[in-house]
Amino acid sequence: MRVTVAEWVLGVAEAASGHRTICGWQEDTMHRLKLAEVFYFEVVDDRSFLYTQAAVFEAKEKLYEFERLCAGSTLFRCSKSMILNAEKIDYVRPSLSGRFEAVLSNGEKAVVSRKYVADLKRMLGV
Amino acid sequence: MLMNNITLWVRRYVTVYGIIMLCTFFMCLLFNPTSELPVVTFFGRIMVFTLIALLSLAVYYSKDELTVKAWWVRTALHLLLLEAVLLPLAHFWGFWHGGTDILVYAGFILLAKALWHLVDYGLNAKTAAQINERIRKNRLEKRT
Repeated sequence: MRVTVAEWVLGVAEAASGHRTICGWQEDTMHRLKLAEVFYFEVVDDRSFLYTQAAVFEAKEKLYEFERLCAGSTLFRCSKSMILNAEKIDYVRPSLSGRFEAVLSNGEKAVVSRKYVADLKRMLGV
Repeated sequence: MLMNNITLWVRRYVTVYGIIMLCTFFMCLLFNPTSELPVVTFFGRIMVFTLIALLSLAVYYSKDELTVKAWWVRTALHLLLLEAVLLPLAHFWGFWHGGTDILVYAGFILLAKALWHLVDYGLNAKTAAQINERIRKNRLEKRT
């Protein structure tokens, strides 16, 4: 897929403002979701899922495609199979396994690999 | 990303090197306080030990994210690997000699590994505190 510089800049601006949307599927129904609504994107057994406050949607995008789609937004790669919305993190805590556990505002927990913590810090301005 | 990885591995190398030095100091202090070591050779050997310790971290490598149980299994495997490689090498270099020595040395390897995980946990706790502080500030800024 070829993207012009103008399209890319527009995409990043949209993502940053949280207006960019993505399609999520629940059975045969398609839902249009704002990126800002997404808590995290996860790949399980080669299938992609989008998680919002209280619902789960299947997505057609692969991890790298979704990662490209949310460039410039508050979503960041947090592990080998997950992209997490930094805006939805309530707090993080370390675990003995050398990784971090992010507790989200809906009470769910997500693992943040140490490899990606630097990205989270940069995003938050630490 | 490359810079992050380099920083991470340099930090790990320095931490492991420091822990091995500390353990060696206490081992000498307790069991062989009069020993004199050729400085360059000694530091060189500690560097080799550190390199082996870091290379053995390959047991943690996985294509997928490790579960907590898998992490504990690999931690046990890592300890066994460290003991299996470092004990004969240390014996070859004259760090231990007799029957009780081997137990003490094996204990120090276990202690060094535990200490490494503790240091790692402490550094991560500091990072988590920085992130949480920033999240709290961002939230306050949004409210006002």
